[in-house]
Amino acid sequence: MTDASPAVISVESISKWYGSVVAVNDVSFEIQPGITGLLGPNGAGKTTLLKMIEGLSDPSDGTVTIFGQTPRGNPDLYSRVGIMSEHEAVYGFYTGREFVEFSARLHGVTDVSEAADIAIERAGMAEAQGRKLGGYSRGMRQRMRLAAAMVHRPEVLILDEPLNGTDPRQRIEFHDLMRHLASEGKTVLVSSHILEEVETLADRILLMVSGKLAASGDYRAIRAKLDEQPYTVRVVSDSPRAMASALVEMEGIESVSMAEDGEVVVLSKNVEVLQRSVARVASERGIRLLRVEPLDESLESVFSYIVEG
Amino acid sequence: MAQIFKLTLRQLLGRWRVLLIVFLASLPTLIVLLVKWQNPWEAKFDQDFVQVMIDAMIIGGIMPIVTMTVASAAFGNELEDRTLYYLILKPISRVQIALAKVAATFVLTAPVVVAGGVVATALVGADAGAVVTVGIALLAGVAAYASIFTWAGLITPRALSYGLVYVLVWEGLLSTFLTGIRYLSVRGYTLSLLHGIDATNFESLEDRVIAFPAAIIGAVGVALVFFFLTQYRLRTMDVP
Repeated sequence: MTDASPAVISVESISKWYGSVVAVNDVSFEIQPGITGLLGPNGAGKTTLLKMIEGLSDPSDGTVTIFGQTPRGNPDLYSRVGIMSEHEAVYGFYTGREFVEFSARLHGVTDVSEAADIAIERAGMAEAQGRKLGGYSRGMRQRMRLAAAMVHRPEVLILDEPLNGTDPRQRIEFHDLMRHLASEGKTVLVSSHILEEVETLADRILLMVSGKLAASGDYRAIRAKLDEQPYTVRVVSDSPRAMASALVEMEGIESVSMAEDGEVVVLSKNVEVLQRSVARVASERGIRLLRVEPLDESLESVFSYIVEG
Repeated sequence: MAQIFKLTLRQLLGRWRVLLIVFLASLPTLIVLLVKWQNPWEAKFDQDFVQVMIDAMIIGGIMPIVTMTVASAAFGNELEDRTLYYLILKPISRVQIALAKVAATFVLTAPVVVAGGVVATALVGADAGAVVTVGIALLAGVAAYASIFTWAGLITPRALSYGLVYVLVWEGLLSTFLTGIRYLSVRGYTLSLLHGIDATNFESLEDRVIAFPAAIIGAVGVALVFFFLTQYRLRTMDVP
Protein backbone atom coordinates (compact mmCIF):
# COMPACT_ATOMS: atom_id res chain seq x y z
CA MET A 1 0.00 0.00 0.00
CA THR A 2 1.17 3.50 -0.68
CA ASP A 3 1.02 6.43 1.68
CA ALA A 4 -1.61 7.90 -0.65
CA SER A 5 -4.19 5.53 0.88
CA PRO A 6 -6.39 7.17 3.48
CA ALA A 7 -4.93 6.91 6.96
CA VAL A 8 -6.58 4.36 9.21
CA ILE A 9 -4.58 5.32 12.28
CA SER A 10 -3.50 8.91 12.68
CA VAL A 11 -1.12 10.05 15.41
CA GLU A 12 -0.50 13.76 15.67
CA SER A 13 2.14 15.37 17.89
CA ILE A 14 1.50 12.87 20.63
CA SER A 15 3.44 12.98 23.88
CA LYS A 16 3.20 11.18 27.17
CA TRP A 17 5.04 12.05 30.31
CA TYR A 18 4.95 10.73 33.85
CA GLY A 19 6.12 13.52 36.13
CA SER A 20 9.47 14.59 34.75
CA VAL A 21 9.94 11.41 32.69
CA VAL A 22 9.02 11.77 29.03
CA ALA A 23 7.97 8.37 27.68
CA VAL A 24 6.81 9.53 24.24
CA ASN A 25 7.91 12.84 22.80
CA ASP A 26 6.02 14.63 20.04
CA VAL A 27 5.43 11.67 17.73
CA SER A 28 3.40 12.00 14.54
CA PHE A 29 2.64 9.48 11.81
CA GLU A 30 -0.16 7.95 9.80
CA ILE A 31 -0.78 4.29 9.17
CA GLN A 32 -2.47 2.93 6.07
CA PRO A 33 -3.77 -0.58 5.35
CA GLY A 34 -0.99 -3.15 5.18
CA ILE A 35 1.60 -4.15 7.74
CA THR A 36 3.44 -1.51 9.71
CA GLY A 37 6.22 -2.46 12.07
CA LEU A 38 6.84 -0.42 15.19
CA LEU A 39 10.47 -1.07 15.98
CA GLY A 40 12.60 0.05 18.85
CA PRO A 41 14.65 -1.20 21.77
CA ASN A 42 13.05 -2.04 25.10
CA GLY A 43 12.14 1.18 26.87
CA ALA A 44 11.89 3.17 23.64
CA GLY A 45 8.24 4.04 24.32
CA LYS A 46 6.59 1.58 21.92
CA THR A 47 4.17 0.15 24.45
CA THR A 48 3.30 3.57 25.84
CA LEU A 49 2.60 4.76 22.30
CA LEU A 50 0.50 1.69 21.54
CA LYS A 51 -1.49 2.14 24.73
CA MET A 52 -2.42 5.64 23.64
CA ILE A 53 -3.38 4.38 20.19
CA GLU A 54 -5.45 1.64 21.81
CA GLY A 55 -7.21 4.08 24.13
CA LEU A 56 -5.82 2.48 27.28
CA SER A 57 -3.99 5.64 28.22
CA ASP A 58 -4.58 9.36 27.77
CA PRO A 59 -1.94 11.29 25.83
CA SER A 60 -0.41 14.14 27.80
CA ASP A 61 -0.50 16.09 24.56
CA GLY A 62 -1.52 15.49 20.95
CA THR A 63 -4.25 13.39 19.39
CA VAL A 64 -4.81 9.84 18.16
CA THR A 65 -7.59 8.71 15.89
CA ILE A 66 -8.57 5.37 14.38
CA PHE A 67 -11.00 5.68 11.47
CA GLY A 68 -11.24 9.34 12.43
CA GLN A 69 -12.46 8.55 15.93
CA THR A 70 -10.69 9.02 19.24
CA PRO A 71 -10.19 5.57 20.80
CA ARG A 72 -10.10 6.82 24.39
CA GLY A 73 -13.52 6.40 26.00
CA ASN A 74 -14.98 5.04 22.78
CA PRO A 75 -15.68 1.32 23.37
CA ASP A 76 -17.73 0.96 20.20
CA LEU A 77 -14.56 1.44 18.18
CA TYR A 78 -13.20 -1.87 19.48
CA SER A 79 -15.65 -3.79 17.32
CA ARG A 80 -13.39 -2.72 14.41
CA VAL A 81 -10.08 -3.13 16.20
CA GLY A 82 -8.33 -6.22 17.56
CA ILE A 83 -5.61 -5.74 20.14
CA MET A 84 -3.01 -8.00 21.64
CA SER A 85 -1.16 -6.39 24.52
CA GLU A 86 2.44 -7.11 25.52
CA HIS A 87 1.20 -8.60 28.81
CA GLU A 88 0.95 -12.32 28.36
CA ALA A 89 -1.31 -13.01 31.33
CA VAL A 90 -4.43 -14.98 30.53
CA TYR A 91 -7.33 -16.47 32.44
CA GLY A 92 -5.58 -19.72 33.25
CA PHE A 93 -8.79 -21.54 34.15
CA TYR A 94 -10.19 -21.14 30.62
CA THR A 95 -9.38 -23.57 27.87
CA GLY A 96 -7.95 -21.95 24.76
CA ARG A 97 -11.27 -22.28 22.99
CA GLU A 98 -13.25 -20.88 25.94
CA PHE A 99 -10.92 -17.89 25.95
CA VAL A 100 -11.42 -17.20 22.24
CA GLU A 101 -15.19 -17.70 22.54
CA PHE A 102 -15.22 -15.37 25.55
CA SER A 103 -13.55 -12.72 23.41
CA ALA A 104 -16.00 -13.34 20.57
CA ARG A 105 -19.01 -12.96 22.85
CA LEU A 106 -17.71 -9.72 24.32
CA HIS A 107 -17.24 -8.45 20.78
CA GLY A 108 -20.85 -9.29 20.01
CA VAL A 109 -20.00 -11.89 17.38
CA THR A 110 -23.19 -13.65 16.29
CA ASP A 111 -21.87 -17.09 15.34
CA VAL A 112 -19.40 -17.55 18.17
CA SER A 113 -18.55 -21.16 17.45
CA GLU A 114 -17.78 -20.61 13.77
CA ALA A 115 -15.77 -17.45 14.47
CA ALA A 116 -13.75 -19.28 17.12
CA ASP A 117 -13.12 -22.18 14.75
CA ILE A 118 -11.75 -19.85 12.08
CA ALA A 119 -9.61 -17.76 14.44
CA ILE A 120 -8.14 -20.79 16.22
CA GLU A 121 -7.44 -22.52 12.92
CA ARG A 122 -5.72 -19.42 11.58
CA ALA A 123 -3.58 -19.21 14.70
CA GLY A 124 -2.64 -22.85 14.26
CA MET A 125 -4.03 -23.87 17.63
CA ALA A 126 -6.81 -26.25 16.65
CA GLU A 127 -5.21 -29.26 18.30
CA ALA A 128 -4.58 -27.58 21.64
CA GLN A 129 -7.83 -25.63 21.88
CA GLY A 130 -9.32 -27.94 24.50
CA ARG A 131 -6.46 -27.54 26.95
CA LYS A 132 -6.37 -25.04 29.80
CA LEU A 133 -4.49 -21.84 29.03
CA GLY A 134 -2.60 -22.23 32.29
CA GLY A 135 -0.88 -25.30 30.87
CA TYR A 136 0.15 -23.71 27.57
CA SER A 137 3.70 -22.89 26.65
CA ARG A 138 4.48 -19.22 26.14
CA GLY A 139 4.33 -19.52 22.37
CA MET A 140 1.00 -21.33 22.48
CA ARG A 141 -0.43 -18.71 24.77
CA GLN A 142 0.68 -16.00 22.38
CA ARG A 143 -1.00 -17.71 19.46
CA MET A 144 -4.25 -18.24 21.36
CA ARG A 145 -4.20 -14.59 22.41
CA LEU A 146 -3.75 -13.73 18.76
CA ALA A 147 -6.78 -15.88 17.91
CA ALA A 148 -8.80 -14.02 20.55
CA ALA A 149 -7.66 -10.67 19.16
CA MET A 150 -8.84 -11.48 15.64
CA VAL A 151 -11.91 -13.59 16.39
CA HIS A 152 -14.27 -10.72 15.48
CA ARG A 153 -12.49 -10.13 12.15
CA PRO A 154 -11.28 -6.62 12.96
CA GLU A 155 -10.24 -4.19 10.27
CA VAL A 156 -7.29 -3.10 12.39
CA LEU A 157 -4.97 -5.37 14.37
CA ILE A 158 -2.57 -3.88 16.91
CA LEU A 159 -0.08 -6.41 18.22
CA ASP A 160 2.48 -5.56 20.88
CA GLU A 161 5.47 -7.92 20.74
CA PRO A 162 3.33 -10.80 19.42
CA LEU A 163 6.31 -13.02 18.64
CA ASN A 164 7.65 -13.18 22.18
CA GLY A 165 8.09 -16.79 23.13
CA THR A 166 7.38 -18.21 19.70
CA ASP A 167 9.66 -20.62 17.89
CA PRO A 168 10.97 -20.14 14.32
CA ARG A 169 8.24 -22.24 12.74
CA GLN A 170 5.55 -20.30 14.59
CA ARG A 171 7.15 -17.06 13.43
CA ILE A 172 6.94 -18.13 9.82
CA GLU A 173 3.28 -19.06 10.29
CA PHE A 174 2.68 -15.75 12.00
CA HIS A 175 4.27 -13.88 9.10
CA ASP A 176 2.11 -15.79 6.63
CA LEU A 177 -1.01 -15.00 8.61
CA MET A 178 -0.20 -11.30 8.84
CA ARG A 179 0.50 -11.13 5.11
CA HIS A 180 -2.79 -12.86 4.44
CA LEU A 181 -4.63 -10.34 6.62
CA ALA A 182 -2.84 -7.49 4.86
CA SER A 183 -3.84 -8.91 1.49
CA GLU A 184 -7.45 -8.72 2.68
CA GLY A 185 -7.00 -4.97 3.17
CA LYS A 186 -6.58 -5.08 6.95
CA THR A 187 -4.34 -2.67 8.80
CA VAL A 188 -1.79 -4.43 10.97
CA LEU A 189 0.50 -2.64 13.42
CA VAL A 190 3.13 -4.94 14.93
CA SER A 191 5.66 -3.86 17.51
CA SER A 192 8.95 -5.56 18.16
CA HIS A 193 12.38 -4.84 19.55
CA ILE A 194 13.99 -7.26 17.11
CA LEU A 195 14.77 -5.82 13.70
CA GLU A 196 14.81 -9.17 11.91
CA GLU A 197 11.29 -9.92 13.12
CA VAL A 198 9.89 -6.82 11.56
CA GLU A 199 12.01 -6.21 8.47
CA THR A 200 10.82 -9.29 6.62
CA LEU A 201 7.22 -8.69 7.58
CA ALA A 202 6.37 -5.02 7.47
CA ASP A 203 5.70 -2.86 4.44
CA ARG A 204 6.70 0.14 6.48
CA ILE A 205 8.67 0.59 9.67
CA LEU A 206 8.34 3.18 12.40
CA LEU A 207 11.55 3.34 14.34
CA MET A 208 11.31 4.59 17.92
CA VAL A 209 14.22 5.51 20.12
CA SER A 210 14.02 7.17 23.53
CA GLY A 211 10.40 8.15 23.07
CA LYS A 212 10.95 9.77 19.68
CA LEU A 213 10.20 8.63 16.17
CA ALA A 214 13.74 8.24 14.87
CA ALA A 215 12.89 7.13 11.35
CA SER A 216 10.00 5.85 9.31
CA GLY A 217 9.48 4.38 5.90
CA ASP A 218 10.42 1.38 3.83
CA TYR A 219 12.41 -1.16 5.83
CA ARG A 220 15.10 -1.42 3.17
CA ALA A 221 15.94 2.26 3.53
CA ILE A 222 16.13 1.92 7.28
CA ARG A 223 18.13 -1.29 7.03
CA ALA A 224 20.59 0.40 4.69
CA LYS A 225 20.99 3.17 7.21
CA LEU A 226 21.52 0.62 9.95
CA ASP A 227 24.08 -1.20 7.84
CA GLU A 228 26.17 1.93 7.61
CA GLN A 229 26.98 1.51 11.26
CA PRO A 230 29.77 -0.89 12.21
CA TYR A 231 28.88 -3.68 14.62
CA THR A 232 31.21 -4.64 17.42
CA VAL A 233 31.77 -8.36 17.80
CA ARG A 234 33.86 -10.23 20.35
CA VAL A 235 35.71 -13.33 19.16
CA VAL A 236 37.06 -15.71 21.81
CA SER A 237 39.35 -18.51 20.62
CA ASP A 238 42.25 -20.67 21.78
CA SER A 239 44.64 -18.62 19.56
CA PRO A 240 43.64 -14.97 19.81
CA ARG A 241 46.72 -13.60 18.03
CA ALA A 242 46.33 -15.96 15.06
CA MET A 243 42.62 -15.14 14.96
CA ALA A 244 43.30 -11.41 15.04
CA SER A 245 45.80 -11.57 12.17
CA ALA A 246 43.34 -13.66 10.13
CA LEU A 247 40.55 -11.20 10.77
CA VAL A 248 42.64 -8.22 9.69
CA GLU A 249 42.96 -9.79 6.24
CA MET A 250 39.22 -10.27 5.86
CA GLU A 251 36.99 -7.96 3.83
CA GLY A 252 34.54 -5.61 5.52
CA ILE A 253 36.53 -5.40 8.72
CA GLU A 254 36.85 -1.85 10.03
CA SER A 255 39.25 -2.62 12.83
CA VAL A 256 40.57 -5.42 15.02
CA SER A 257 41.85 -4.98 18.54
CA MET A 258 43.06 -7.27 21.29
CA ALA A 259 41.66 -6.93 24.78
CA GLU A 260 43.91 -7.54 27.80
CA ASP A 261 42.25 -10.86 28.52
CA GLY A 262 43.15 -12.12 25.05
CA GLU A 263 39.76 -11.61 23.50
CA VAL A 264 39.60 -10.15 19.99
CA VAL A 265 37.19 -7.26 19.40
CA VAL A 266 36.21 -6.70 15.79
CA LEU A 267 34.40 -3.76 14.20
CA SER A 268 32.59 -4.75 11.02
CA LYS A 269 29.92 -3.20 8.83
CA ASN A 270 28.65 -6.52 7.63
CA VAL A 271 27.98 -8.73 10.60
CA GLU A 272 26.50 -11.57 8.53
CA VAL A 273 29.64 -11.88 6.38
CA LEU A 274 31.74 -11.64 9.51
CA GLN A 275 29.87 -14.50 11.18
CA ARG A 276 30.34 -16.75 8.16
CA SER A 277 33.98 -15.79 7.57
CA VAL A 278 35.12 -16.20 11.16
CA ALA A 279 34.00 -19.82 11.22
CA ARG A 280 35.60 -20.53 7.85
CA VAL A 281 38.92 -18.86 8.70
CA ALA A 282 39.08 -20.58 12.09
CA SER A 283 38.47 -23.92 10.45
CA GLU A 284 41.11 -23.32 7.75
CA ARG A 285 43.76 -22.27 10.28
CA GLY A 286 42.93 -24.85 12.93
CA ILE A 287 41.82 -22.30 15.48
CA ARG A 288 39.28 -23.45 18.02
CA LEU A 289 36.49 -20.91 18.33
CA LEU A 290 35.08 -20.63 21.84
CA ARG A 291 32.63 -17.76 21.45
CA VAL A 292 31.52 -15.23 18.84
CA GLU A 293 29.12 -12.64 20.15
CA PRO A 294 28.01 -9.14 19.26
CA LEU A 295 28.89 -6.62 21.93
CA ASP A 296 26.25 -4.12 20.90
CA GLU A 297 23.43 -6.32 19.77
CA SER A 298 20.94 -4.18 21.65
CA LEU A 299 19.06 -2.04 19.19
CA GLU A 300 19.66 0.94 21.43
CA SER A 301 23.27 1.07 20.32
CA VAL A 302 22.32 0.60 16.69
CA PHE A 303 19.50 3.11 16.80
CA SER A 304 21.59 5.69 18.55
CA TYR A 305 23.62 5.83 15.39
CA ILE A 306 20.58 6.75 13.35
CA VAL A 307 19.33 9.28 15.87
CA GLU A 308 22.69 10.93 16.28
CA GLY A 309 23.44 10.64 12.61
CA MET B 1 -22.47 -8.43 30.75
CA ALA B 2 -23.32 -12.04 31.58
CA GLN B 3 -19.89 -13.10 30.29
CA ILE B 4 -18.06 -10.74 32.64
CA PHE B 5 -20.33 -11.72 35.50
CA LYS B 6 -19.53 -15.41 34.98
CA LEU B 7 -15.84 -14.69 34.51
CA THR B 8 -15.75 -12.73 37.77
CA LEU B 9 -17.47 -15.53 39.67
CA ARG B 10 -14.80 -17.95 38.43
CA GLN B 11 -12.05 -15.53 39.36
CA LEU B 12 -13.43 -14.97 42.85
CA LEU B 13 -14.14 -18.61 43.63
CA GLY B 14 -10.60 -19.35 44.69
CA ARG B 15 -10.39 -22.11 47.25
CA TRP B 16 -8.76 -20.09 50.04
CA ARG B 17 -11.01 -17.10 49.58
CA VAL B 18 -14.13 -19.27 49.72
CA LEU B 19 -12.87 -21.13 52.78
CA LEU B 20 -12.07 -17.85 54.53
CA ILE B 21 -15.41 -16.18 53.90
CA VAL B 22 -17.39 -19.30 54.78
CA PHE B 23 -15.40 -19.66 57.98
CA LEU B 24 -15.90 -16.01 58.94
CA ALA B 25 -19.59 -16.07 58.11
CA SER B 26 -20.04 -19.28 60.11
CA LEU B 27 -18.46 -17.87 63.25
CA PRO B 28 -21.75 -16.55 64.78
CA THR B 29 -23.41 -19.91 64.20
CA LEU B 30 -20.45 -21.78 65.67
CA ILE B 31 -20.45 -19.50 68.73
CA VAL B 32 -24.19 -19.93 69.21
CA LEU B 33 -23.84 -23.70 68.95
CA LEU B 34 -20.99 -23.63 71.45
CA VAL B 35 -23.01 -21.55 73.90
CA LYS B 36 -26.05 -23.81 73.45
CA TRP B 37 -23.88 -26.80 74.22
CA GLN B 38 -22.13 -25.27 77.26
CA ASN B 39 -24.89 -23.09 78.73
CA PRO B 40 -28.18 -23.80 76.91
CA TRP B 41 -30.15 -21.23 78.95
CA GLU B 42 -27.90 -18.39 77.74
CA ALA B 43 -28.47 -19.07 74.03
CA LYS B 44 -31.59 -16.98 73.59
CA PHE B 45 -32.69 -14.09 71.45
CA ASP B 46 -32.50 -11.04 73.69
CA GLN B 47 -31.06 -7.54 73.51
CA ASP B 48 -27.63 -8.76 74.56
CA PHE B 49 -27.63 -11.04 71.52
CA VAL B 50 -28.71 -8.09 69.34
CA GLN B 51 -25.97 -5.82 70.63
CA VAL B 52 -23.11 -8.27 70.89
CA MET B 53 -23.74 -10.77 68.13
CA ILE B 54 -25.75 -8.91 65.50
CA ASP B 55 -24.44 -5.37 65.93
CA ALA B 56 -20.82 -5.80 67.01
CA MET B 57 -19.91 -9.12 65.47
CA ILE B 58 -22.00 -9.63 62.35
CA ILE B 59 -22.75 -6.09 61.16
CA GLY B 60 -19.67 -4.43 62.64
CA GLY B 61 -17.15 -7.08 61.67
CA ILE B 62 -18.09 -10.11 59.62
CA MET B 63 -20.28 -8.42 57.02
CA PRO B 64 -17.77 -5.72 55.99
CA ILE B 65 -14.74 -8.00 56.18
CA VAL B 66 -16.28 -10.82 54.17
CA THR B 67 -17.60 -8.40 51.55
CA MET B 68 -14.27 -6.59 51.43
CA THR B 69 -12.35 -9.84 50.93
CA VAL B 70 -14.39 -10.65 47.86
CA ALA B 71 -15.18 -7.22 46.41
CA SER B 72 -11.67 -5.81 46.57
CA ALA B 73 -10.51 -8.74 44.42
CA ALA B 74 -13.14 -8.22 41.72
CA PHE B 75 -10.94 -5.68 39.95
CA GLY B 76 -7.89 -6.12 42.17
CA ASN B 77 -7.07 -9.51 40.68
CA GLU B 78 -7.45 -8.19 37.14
CA LEU B 79 -5.11 -5.30 37.88
CA GLU B 80 -2.58 -7.52 39.58
CA ASP B 81 -2.64 -10.09 36.76
CA ARG B 82 -2.84 -7.36 34.10
CA THR B 83 -5.86 -8.94 32.48
CA LEU B 84 -8.18 -5.96 32.82
CA TYR B 85 -7.45 -4.88 29.26
CA TYR B 86 -9.24 -7.98 27.96
CA LEU B 87 -12.43 -6.36 29.24
CA ILE B 88 -11.59 -2.74 28.55
CA LEU B 89 -10.68 -3.32 24.91
CA LYS B 90 -14.10 -4.66 24.04
CA PRO B 91 -17.11 -2.80 22.69
CA ILE B 92 -18.80 -2.83 26.08
CA SER B 93 -19.78 0.19 28.14
CA ARG B 94 -17.86 0.75 31.34
CA VAL B 95 -21.19 0.76 33.20
CA GLN B 96 -21.77 -2.84 32.13
CA ILE B 97 -18.30 -3.91 33.24
CA ALA B 98 -18.73 -2.24 36.65
CA LEU B 99 -22.23 -3.66 37.06
CA ALA B 100 -21.08 -7.19 36.26
CA LYS B 101 -18.25 -6.94 38.80
CA VAL B 102 -20.43 -5.54 41.61
CA ALA B 103 -23.21 -8.03 40.83
CA ALA B 104 -20.82 -10.99 40.95
CA THR B 105 -19.42 -9.75 44.25
CA PHE B 106 -22.91 -9.38 45.68
CA VAL B 107 -24.11 -12.76 44.44
CA LEU B 108 -21.10 -14.47 45.96
CA THR B 109 -21.05 -12.60 49.26
CA ALA B 110 -24.68 -12.00 50.14
CA PRO B 111 -25.78 -15.63 50.54
CA VAL B 112 -22.80 -16.39 52.78
CA VAL B 113 -23.22 -13.34 55.01
CA VAL B 114 -27.02 -13.54 55.15
CA ALA B 115 -26.99 -17.27 55.85
CA GLY B 116 -24.47 -16.77 58.65
CA GLY B 117 -26.58 -14.06 60.30
CA VAL B 118 -29.94 -15.65 59.73
CA VAL B 119 -28.96 -19.12 60.96
CA ALA B 120 -27.36 -17.74 64.11
CA THR B 121 -30.43 -15.60 64.82
CA ALA B 122 -32.79 -18.50 64.20
CA LEU B 123 -30.78 -20.84 66.40
CA VAL B 124 -31.29 -18.61 69.45
CA GLY B 125 -35.05 -18.81 69.00
CA ALA B 126 -35.81 -15.46 67.39
CA ASP B 127 -39.21 -15.21 65.74
CA ALA B 128 -39.56 -15.36 61.99
CA GLY B 129 -39.98 -11.59 61.73
CA ALA B 130 -36.65 -10.93 63.43
CA VAL B 131 -34.89 -13.52 61.30
CA VAL B 132 -36.26 -12.04 58.07
CA THR B 133 -35.38 -8.55 59.26
CA VAL B 134 -31.79 -9.60 59.87
CA GLY B 135 -31.67 -11.08 56.35
CA ILE B 136 -33.02 -7.91 54.71
CA ALA B 137 -30.69 -5.60 56.64
CA LEU B 138 -27.66 -7.74 55.83
CA LEU B 139 -28.58 -7.79 52.14
CA ALA B 140 -28.65 -3.99 52.12
CA GLY B 141 -25.37 -3.76 54.00
CA VAL B 142 -23.62 -6.20 51.67
CA ALA B 143 -24.88 -4.30 48.62
CA ALA B 144 -23.46 -1.02 49.93
CA TYR B 145 -20.14 -2.57 50.95
CA ALA B 146 -19.87 -4.48 47.66
CA SER B 147 -20.05 -1.20 45.79
CA ILE B 148 -17.53 0.53 48.10
CA PHE B 149 -14.93 -2.23 48.06
CA THR B 150 -15.24 -3.00 44.35
CA TRP B 151 -14.32 0.63 43.74
CA ALA B 152 -11.52 0.42 46.33
CA GLY B 153 -10.04 -2.61 44.56
CA LEU B 154 -9.94 -0.61 41.36
CA ILE B 155 -8.18 2.44 42.74
CA THR B 156 -5.55 0.87 44.99
CA PRO B 157 -3.69 -2.41 45.27
CA ARG B 158 -3.90 -1.97 49.05
CA ALA B 159 -7.67 -2.06 49.22
CA LEU B 160 -7.64 -4.75 51.89
CA SER B 161 -5.34 -2.81 54.22
CA TYR B 162 -7.14 0.50 53.79
CA GLY B 163 -10.47 -1.30 53.97
CA LEU B 164 -9.59 -2.88 57.28
CA VAL B 165 -8.64 0.50 58.74
CA TYR B 166 -11.89 1.96 57.43
CA VAL B 167 -13.96 -0.88 58.90
CA LEU B 168 -12.26 -0.74 62.30
CA VAL B 169 -11.94 3.02 62.70
CA TRP B 170 -14.82 4.56 60.78
CA GLU B 171 -17.46 1.85 60.92
CA GLY B 172 -16.35 0.27 64.19
CA LEU B 173 -15.17 3.08 66.41
CA LEU B 174 -16.41 6.41 65.11
CA SER B 175 -19.89 5.33 64.06
CA THR B 176 -20.40 3.85 67.54
CA PHE B 177 -19.54 6.98 69.47
CA LEU B 178 -20.23 9.89 67.11
CA THR B 179 -23.88 10.34 66.19
CA GLY B 180 -23.19 12.32 63.01
CA ILE B 181 -21.01 9.56 61.55
CA ARG B 182 -24.02 7.24 61.46
CA TYR B 183 -25.38 9.22 58.53
CA LEU B 184 -22.25 8.26 56.61
CA SER B 185 -21.84 4.72 57.87
CA VAL B 186 -23.01 1.49 56.29
CA ARG B 187 -23.12 -0.02 59.75
CA GLY B 188 -25.37 2.86 60.82
CA TYR B 189 -27.68 2.25 57.83
CA THR B 190 -27.83 -1.50 58.48
CA LEU B 191 -28.67 -1.08 62.18
CA SER B 192 -31.25 1.57 61.30
CA LEU B 193 -32.90 -0.80 58.82
CA LEU B 194 -33.09 -3.48 61.50
CA HIS B 195 -34.68 -1.09 63.96
CA GLY B 196 -36.85 0.60 61.33
CA ILE B 197 -38.38 -2.69 60.16
CA ASP B 198 -38.75 -4.30 63.60
CA ALA B 199 -38.42 -1.84 66.47
CA THR B 200 -39.70 -4.37 69.01
CA ASN B 201 -37.16 -7.12 68.49
CA PHE B 202 -34.32 -4.66 68.02
CA GLU B 203 -35.30 -2.02 70.58
CA SER B 204 -31.83 -1.85 72.13
CA LEU B 205 -30.53 -0.32 68.91
CA GLU B 206 -32.64 2.79 69.46
CA ASP B 207 -29.68 4.89 70.57
CA ARG B 208 -27.56 3.75 67.62
CA VAL B 209 -29.81 4.48 64.67
CA ILE B 210 -30.82 7.25 62.30
CA ALA B 211 -34.25 7.78 60.76
CA PHE B 212 -35.49 4.80 58.74
CA PRO B 213 -35.95 6.75 55.44
CA ALA B 214 -32.50 8.30 55.89
CA ALA B 215 -31.03 4.80 56.28
CA ILE B 216 -32.70 3.59 53.08
CA ILE B 217 -31.53 6.66 51.16
CA GLY B 218 -28.08 6.35 52.68
CA ALA B 219 -27.62 2.67 51.76
CA VAL B 220 -28.94 3.14 48.24
CA GLY B 221 -26.96 6.37 47.86
CA VAL B 222 -23.66 4.78 48.92
CA ALA B 223 -24.19 1.86 46.53
CA LEU B 224 -24.99 4.22 43.65
CA VAL B 225 -22.25 6.77 44.36
CA PHE B 226 -19.50 4.15 44.54
CA PHE B 227 -20.88 2.37 41.51
CA PHE B 228 -20.70 5.67 39.63
CA LEU B 229 -17.13 6.21 40.85
CA THR B 230 -16.18 2.71 39.69
CA GLN B 231 -17.42 3.16 36.14
CA TYR B 232 -15.91 6.66 36.06
CA ARG B 233 -12.56 5.26 37.13
CA LEU B 234 -12.80 2.61 34.40
CA ARG B 235 -13.34 5.35 31.82
CA THR B 236 -10.52 7.60 32.96
CA MET B 237 -7.78 5.35 34.32
CA ASP B 238 -4.60 4.37 32.52
CA VAL B 239 -5.08 0.63 32.14
CA PRO B 240 -1.89 -1.30 32.97
